[in-house]
Amino acid sequence: MLSFYLYLGTAVLLVGIGGLGLWRGPELLRRILALNVIGAGIFMLMVTLAYRPVMQGEPADSVLHALVLTGLVVAVSATAFALALLGRLLTRAD
Amino acid sequence: MFPALLLVTLPLSAALLMLLWPRFARSLHVTVALLSVPLAGYFLQQILLHGEQQWLLGGWSPLLAIRWQADSLSALLLLLSALLHLLVSGYALAVQARDRLPAAFWPLSSLLLASLQALWLARDLFNWYVCLELLGMVAVALVTLSGDKALKPALNYLLFSLFASLCYLLGVALLYAGYGALDLPLLAGQLEANRLNAMALLLITLGLMLKAACWPLHIWLPAAHAAAPAAVSALLSALVVKGPLFILYLVWTELAPQAFWLPASYLFALAALGALLFGGIAALRTPYGKSLVAYSTVAQLGYATLALAFVLRFNLPEFVAALWLFVLAHALAKAASFLAMGELQQTLGSKQVSALKGASQTMPLAMFAFAVAGGSLIGLPPSGGFLAKWALLLGLWQSQQYFWLLVLAVATLLAAAYVFRVVVLAFDRAEPTAPDFAPQRLPQYLALLPALAVWAMALFSMPLLTLLKQEL
Repeated sequence: MLSFYLYLGTAVLLVGIGGLGLWRGPELLRRILALNVIGAGIFMLMVTLAYRPVMQGEPADSVLHALVLTGLVVAVSATAFALALLGRLLTRAD
Repeated sequence: MFPALLLVTLPLSAALLMLLWPRFARSLHVTVALLSVPLAGYFLQQILLHGEQQWLLGGWSPLLAIRWQADSLSALLLLLSALLHLLVSGYALAVQARDRLPAAFWPLSSLLLASLQALWLARDLFNWYVCLELLGMVAVALVTLSGDKALKPALNYLLFSLFASLCYLLGVALLYAGYGALDLPLLAGQLEANRLNAMALLLITLGLMLKAACWPLHIWLPAAHAAAPAAVSALLSALVVKGPLFILYLVWTELAPQAFWLPASYLFALAALGALLFGGIAALRTPYGKSLVAYSTVAQLGYATLALAFVLRFNLPEFVAALWLFVLAHALAKAASFLAMGELQQTLGSKQVSALKGASQTMPLAMFAFAVAGGSLIGLPPSGGFLAKWALLLGLWQSQQYFWLLVLAVATLLAAAYVFRVVVLAFDRAEPTAPDFAPQRLPQYLALLPALAVWAMALFSMPLLTLLKQEL
């Protein structure tokens, strides 16, 4: 039970840290990383939620696991795209 | 089932094939664009004949499966997207040599169509997230097609879009934590008015309003839409911002508990007030032609937000009709005005509004298209914009919201001011043109087409109104 709340708290903390980084900016790379931290927080929240049935002795919620996997794929490609854009922006600026 | 499935899978598989065989990209793209329109038309007819249809993809149980559902509104939006996609494809074909439109336009715009069509059909919170992400990333990639100067606005757009998706995803995760379902019809009417749900709905609304560029979350839109190539701006302004609006409407009318409707309606009304006034003023002041049209999108989205606010507050069928009439009329008018403005800028060689001096003599067709579309943006009878505004006025009159009648009058005057700012300049005496000045005619006719269609909406007002009102 304690570990559940620990994970939940960490997830909320990650979303908060990411949100702060996104707000403060101003470098674009920092903002991209901050978005990833928020994403990690949300995925952690979802994995923690999937753990809830386990505490009652049932198997974990596999729908949430599937959502996290889909979300990870989306997040990786979005980050790659953002970094590629940033790279092009920086090389053109020089 | 079959036509709906084809409407999504055809452009999707075509886009993948285009990446494999770039040589056939253009012909594949045009084939799919041509096929989509009769398919969407046939589908709308089927829905009108047999009523609403729904499918659980893969035949799974509703808790696992993605639900697709098509009512007449979805079918209408499917047809609208297919039509505008075909039109913009035609425009892109006509100008691609002159504007040096990169070949990446073809697969990307097919992907855009696929993700939009999937969005209109889906009734699943997570599937919407995937559609929104796909739509956002494809839209950003399309903005970058106009070269290096578009990189900065495109990256900004991407960051806003990703943040909005994450807000939406967090909201969806919170809802799932409470109810263990993502399916819209399963969740409908289940939600209680507690703090967790308030938080979840607030996050979902924030994400969707960011993506739909509702004032004051619109700051990414003018730069991104103005930097994109004209064909892309037309698609983005006409269709892409309407996707999140559609989800917002369904989430609030079907999912949200009635106790939250009143505060939400105040929030939406405030956003609408800001959009109508400040969007209009910004369009009046900007020195650049395409920014003017982009700010006009911000202002016009205010009408749709206002209609949504009053749907939640009074639940009159007039407001639902007004909301979707605005979406239809704005999509057509904005496609026309972006294509016309892009054509004017490209041919006259300047982005400034002041360069349009005398355009009624040098490029009468494009200017005519802009003015005719502008008439619908203002809401002159008997255009589509007038039809939507009339439905809104009727509803406001019935619910005795006299303050908002005044706001609508001011917003209409602002719209008239920014449209006439261009038109008056165009009727000034033209500077002598160079001897080799030869504007292309075909793209100008293509820009005129949706402008005429939006005026023709008045002829079909009865079937349109009955179709939209039966949604209640």
